[in-house]
Amino acid sequence: MRLILRIVSLLSLLGLILPSFLFLIGQVTDLDKVKWYMVIATIVWFVTATPVMWKEKKA
Amino acid sequence: MATEQESQQVSGGEFEREPVPQHAWMGFKNFIGMYAGEHCAGTELMLGPLFVAAGASAFDLVVGLLLGNALAVLSWMFVCAPIGTRCRLTLYYQLEKICGRRLVTMYNLANGLMFCFLAGAMVTVSATALGVWFKFPMPALDDMYPNSVGWVLAVAVVGLLISIVAAFGYKTVSKFANIASPWMVLVFLAFGFVGLRQFITATGVEIHSAGDLWSLAKTHMWKGGDALPGQVKFTFWHVTFFGWFCNMAMHIGMSDLSVFRFAKKSWYGVASASGMYVGHFMAWIAAACLYAYQLHLDPMDTKVLPGPLAFRAAGLTGLLCVIIAGWTTANPTIYRAGLAFQALTPKSSRFKVTLATGALATVAGMFPAIAMKLLDFVALYGLILMPMGAVIFVDFWLMHKLGLQSSYAEKSGKHFNLAAGVAWIVTLVIAFLLVKYAGIQIYFVSLPGWFVAAILYIVVSKFYQQKIRPAA
Repeated sequence: MRLILRIVSLLSLLGLILPSFLFLIGQVTDLDKVKWYMVIATIVWFVTATPVMWKEKKA
Repeated sequence: MATEQESQQVSGGEFEREPVPQHAWMGFKNFIGMYAGEHCAGTELMLGPLFVAAGASAFDLVVGLLLGNALAVLSWMFVCAPIGTRCRLTLYYQLEKICGRRLVTMYNLANGLMFCFLAGAMVTVSATALGVWFKFPMPALDDMYPNSVGWVLAVAVVGLLISIVAAFGYKTVSKFANIASPWMVLVFLAFGFVGLRQFITATGVEIHSAGDLWSLAKTHMWKGGDALPGQVKFTFWHVTFFGWFCNMAMHIGMSDLSVFRFAKKSWYGVASASGMYVGHFMAWIAAACLYAYQLHLDPMDTKVLPGPLAFRAAGLTGLLCVIIAGWTTANPTIYRAGLAFQALTPKSSRFKVTLATGALATVAGMFPAIAMKLLDFVALYGLILMPMGAVIFVDFWLMHKLGLQSSYAEKSGKHFNLAAGVAWIVTLVIAFLLVKYAGIQIYFVSLPGWFVAAILYIVVSKFYQQKIRPAA
């Protein structure tokens, strides 16, 4: 489970930065879409990274 | 800007009055992560734009920051870390051995006050995010005082929440800050990507090479020229010295002795590069990009407001980044300031002292002057704490060679080492006179000031230690 959470959290970071990079290179032109993708990636990051990283710090 | 949330974890309240034992030493990776997270904070969203407001050109900004940050890393590597890994003591214990308890208490007071105002600027940053939602008038670049009831209420609410959390203990927020850190770094990067694209679209410039990009940066983004009203004009040297000395208290001021006492090797000081080039290069340039775009759209819109800037680039994620960046960095700062003040009255409740400290930071945050003049404030903060770094450096490396006693307060049983006190206060007086009457700007007095403090400490020790021989 932890491995899955870790993988999903890392993918969410990719999902966070990729839309803005695609916007930079002109592959995506709608900034509102970019903003929504970033919100979704943010939610996924905090939901998946928190259980993993919180426990890591305790250990 | 450094906030030490991770440093707190590294120091963790352990081994406060003893050298860190070998089993507690940490590897290189710990320091990379710690510095990268610590120096990507809410205040970066103020500092980047303020470089633009100060009229820094593209060359000044990019090359000045590359050089200034390199000098900062070298300062950590060759000034701070070697002493940290040899003595393995906290800054405060090392200072106490040299200066005596009373002088350290004075240092704590100064440190606490500086932290308080810095936390105020972080509260200001977070409060600008509320302005996007609630649409109250927010302060302009040259505003000194609160300009609306809405602004005062927003700062009060943010400051109160941060203070209450800090009073209950910073550890939970510190954990949350660690989780937010990689996300926050990428949101800053996204600010830069979006800002750059917006510039390319707004100017219609075709970008086919790095040369085209540099040309866009020079001619449209950071054109240089005069500073905006109320700001000091920044040249290449201003940017370089600011990049070098904005964390002066931590490297040549030796605050990070508390961090490097855990390092296996002194070259781990190079890990500070992660913080410098992520936070003080990428994040500053990304934030500067957003502000330059705002000026490009409307040259009269000179307000430096991280909330609206971030919202324009990244929507809700941007706003969240501003709030979290301000909150996670103000929280430990208020906590540390509270601890420093509590040292003055050890019997008082830490909870109440931290709440009172938070209240002071909140009131400070209501005055936009601190945030809008953050470049000056950060320079002042480093300057005030820097002389003690010179005292530690001399005490460790030179005192024995000069036939003088190191750790004099400990060995003589003194509570106030006059030589260190004179070195600190006289250096600050000289720096003040240089700024006030010799026309030298505050960004440049710290370098000569460090040498002045070192020389004063040696000279006064020569007389002082001759008169009062240590008992041991």
